[in-house]
Amino acid sequence: MTYQEYLDGKPVVVTAALTGGIHGKETHPGLPETPEEIAAAAAACEEAGAAIVHLHARRDNGERAFSTERFQAVTDAVRDATDDLVIQHSTGGTAAPDALRAEPLRTDPAPEMASLDMGPMNRGRRLTSENTRDTIDGLHAEMRERGIKPELEVFNDGHLNESFRILDDLADPPYLNLIFGPGTLSPPSPANLQHMVDQLPDRAEFNVIGFGPHQLPLTTQSLLLGGHVRVGLEDNSYYRKGERATNEALVARSVRIAEELGRPVASPAEARDLLGL
Amino acid sequence: MTCPHLEYREGDGSREFETARAFCTVAERFVQPVRADICTERYDLDPEADCEYFREHEGLDWDE
Repeated sequence: MTYQEYLDGKPVVVTAALTGGIHGKETHPGLPETPEEIAAAAAACEEAGAAIVHLHARRDNGERAFSTERFQAVTDAVRDATDDLVIQHSTGGTAAPDALRAEPLRTDPAPEMASLDMGPMNRGRRLTSENTRDTIDGLHAEMRERGIKPELEVFNDGHLNESFRILDDLADPPYLNLIFGPGTLSPPSPANLQHMVDQLPDRAEFNVIGFGPHQLPLTTQSLLLGGHVRVGLEDNSYYRKGERATNEALVARSVRIAEELGRPVASPAEARDLLGL
Repeated sequence: MTCPHLEYREGDGSREFETARAFCTVAERFVQPVRADICTERYDLDPEADCEYFREHEGLDWDE
């Protein structure tokens, strides 16, 4: 979790966020939505060097789905299409009630990891991902019960406080995901990323997400700071200005940059060791 | 209940989809999945209370 770790050639874990739940094919016709499309994207990303896939589920018409049944279809398809990827399910969701938010944790087998939002995030004028402490604690308890490693989603500085609140309840290493973008996310800048990393406890591992055009520079900065990276169409539709991306192209670019910078890319097995799965 | 301005369409003249997707006839575009939660009043969302496109179309202020 330090520049020294970069110098020491610590392996980097690359997570591919394949589809998300915010935009769909109306935004990017190549965005995978069906279980089969998501599985094909996962296999391509594994081939490109990803160790973890972050999964959402969709209805047939592309709208978001939280049900265990739909997540089961997605995770089964991904497991069939891939060799050894770490499966990470999203529990985030605007306006969805707590009972639904827990459903992605209840697949068989349970996902090895799941996201755990550390506080609210606004979308549009009247939509909010609430993520009350009660919601967080409920999801966290179920993750612990099922042996699921939480990835703490830190949308801004205040969510670091909320992460520290439950830090003692987390198995080592705590894994925090620092997210930069518009609205209630941390303003995207190298200075803000450095500032957040400076506040992390030594025993933590961190991952960086930059939305849209911030994906490339901020994940690259994470490589230099000993952190990990998440890329994919959930966070960024474009490879460069005016050119739509694919999930595997974004992963392949991260892998190339990491290797050029001297960070070996972790296999799924190495990622499990690094993150204590 | 769904928004009276919601239609499910398989295309808009320039794009075609295999499965009909949520289309807002006020904004005249396909809507993102998260916004379709408002259109279809999932999770107690309500177009009249929560949708800026609906409210603008109806001439409603946010203070009302």
